[in-house]
Amino acid sequence: MLEPLLAPLREEFFLRALAAVILGGMTCACLGAYVVLRRMAFVSTALTHSILPGIVGALLLGCSPYAGALAAALLTAGGTAWLASRRGTSEDSAIGVMLSVMFAAGIALMQQARSWRDFGGLLFGSVVSVGPEDLLAIGLTAAVVLLSLRALHKELELASFDEEYARLLGARPGLMRAVLLALVAVGAVGCVRLVGALLTTALFVIPAATGVLLGRTLAGVMAWGAAVAVLGGIAGLYLSYHAPGVPSGAGIVLCCALPYLLARLFAPRR
Amino acid sequence: MSHRTAGLWEQFHGAIFGVLPRIPYAAPETPVAGPAIRAEGLTAAARPDGPVAFTDVALEIPVGCRAALVGPNGSGKSTLLRVLAGLTPARAGKVEVLGRAPALGRRRVAYLAQRPDLTPYFPLTLRRLVQMGKYAHHGWFDECRHGDADVDQALRLLELGDLAERPVHALSGGQLQRGLLARATVQGAELLLLDEPYAALDAASRAIVERFLAERPAGLTVVMATHDPADARRSDRVLELRGGALRLLHDCAGHDHRHA
Repeated sequence: MLEPLLAPLREEFFLRALAAVILGGMTCACLGAYVVLRRMAFVSTALTHSILPGIVGALLLGCSPYAGALAAALLTAGGTAWLASRRGTSEDSAIGVMLSVMFAAGIALMQQARSWRDFGGLLFGSVVSVGPEDLLAIGLTAAVVLLSLRALHKELELASFDEEYARLLGARPGLMRAVLLALVAVGAVGCVRLVGALLTTALFVIPAATGVLLGRTLAGVMAWGAAVAVLGGIAGLYLSYHAPGVPSGAGIVLCCALPYLLARLFAPRR
Repeated sequence: MSHRTAGLWEQFHGAIFGVLPRIPYAAPETPVAGPAIRAEGLTAAARPDGPVAFTDVALEIPVGCRAALVGPNGSGKSTLLRVLAGLTPARAGKVEVLGRAPALGRRRVAYLAQRPDLTPYFPLTLRRLVQMGKYAHHGWFDECRHGDADVDQALRLLELGDLAERPVHALSGGQLQRGLLARATVQGAELLLLDEPYAALDAASRAIVERFLAERPAGLTVVMATHDPADARRSDRVLELRGGALRLLHDCAGHDHRHA
């Protein structure tokens, strides 16, 4: 009876994919708590989409795709901050400008590379083809992001809840915002293999939005979010294993959305 | 989490984060003798590119004094408090708060805005909110543990003991305002700058805050913007901002300056 659950576990690619969704899911969900509570969903979308020109550009130049993706994401974060730093451009429109410019640059570069098919995995995810070096990248990302969030937990919480009090205490809320943006960039790049550049925002937003409905403290929101992301990720992998018509990235996102819907319908109002 | 798991987690946490340096948010300051607030020729505006709120203001408030700042809406009461808190820079003049120029990162100065700009629906208990006052004592990379005696004491002082585990977004305006005062107490502030603290309070909360202010420790200085004549009567010193100028209406020694 357990055969449908056990059969995939005998395949090495499936075990690597499992490790990737567990590490990546926890990373994105914990960062996602801040993305959701601070209303950074749009900027996280811009960062995840900007990975496209980064990776394609890196492939054209012959350097590491992860380095290219990280450079592009950090450029987007910096560019957004610079555009929004002058009156007359709201942060919203600054993000919209950077998002569309970076994505258009990605499409133009893809045309240069003359190969659309190779980039399907980049756009839509291909966690089942994760290799050892991708797993290493995801593991490093998880370590950097989770340790940073832990070390700066009280400052990030304070800056996100009461920015003015953080300023008054000297806890540098502006710096904390920059740290969070950088961590979202790192997390988006490290986890791009899970669900792809177009859907990584879902991993930031959906599990954490579920956590906000269920958790009473920030740590509780992160714990619920991580549980949803990890279980949704695992369920999505099994779904795409048994129903080959469902791509793994789409399967993971849909399996994370189900608990969100249940929590939205049945979580007690507080 | 069981006791054993909690112990293991503490050990793991200590092994990883024990190596991080403990850096204070700002350099600690040594107390200086003198008045709590002294200002001369102070000129300031609410916004860097906005019109001037008041010009050439002189002010002196001794330690332990309770001062009321009165005046019509838009007269610059909030701007003056924000200058003293270090949130808004002065355009001109000299000002000293507890012996130093106003600055951010001063544990000894606490400021409560009229409408605190808190992120809505943030998952935070009242206890955690009050605990934030301790952060300035800990600095970077040091987590505050639960079971802090001062936090409990401050919660009791403002009659919030029963609400400690309630989410902040489920508190009434008055309970939240008392929570923010408890946070300032835990911070160990010696100067409280309150911007119309009674604006959101019902009678019960107001009585509790009133008692807190009346029974404050001897060294605690309070400057409070208010529209209520009753607050002004309970204060040691009453200052009026009107038309961009500051006048002393009444001082600690009980002299009435209105007809002087």
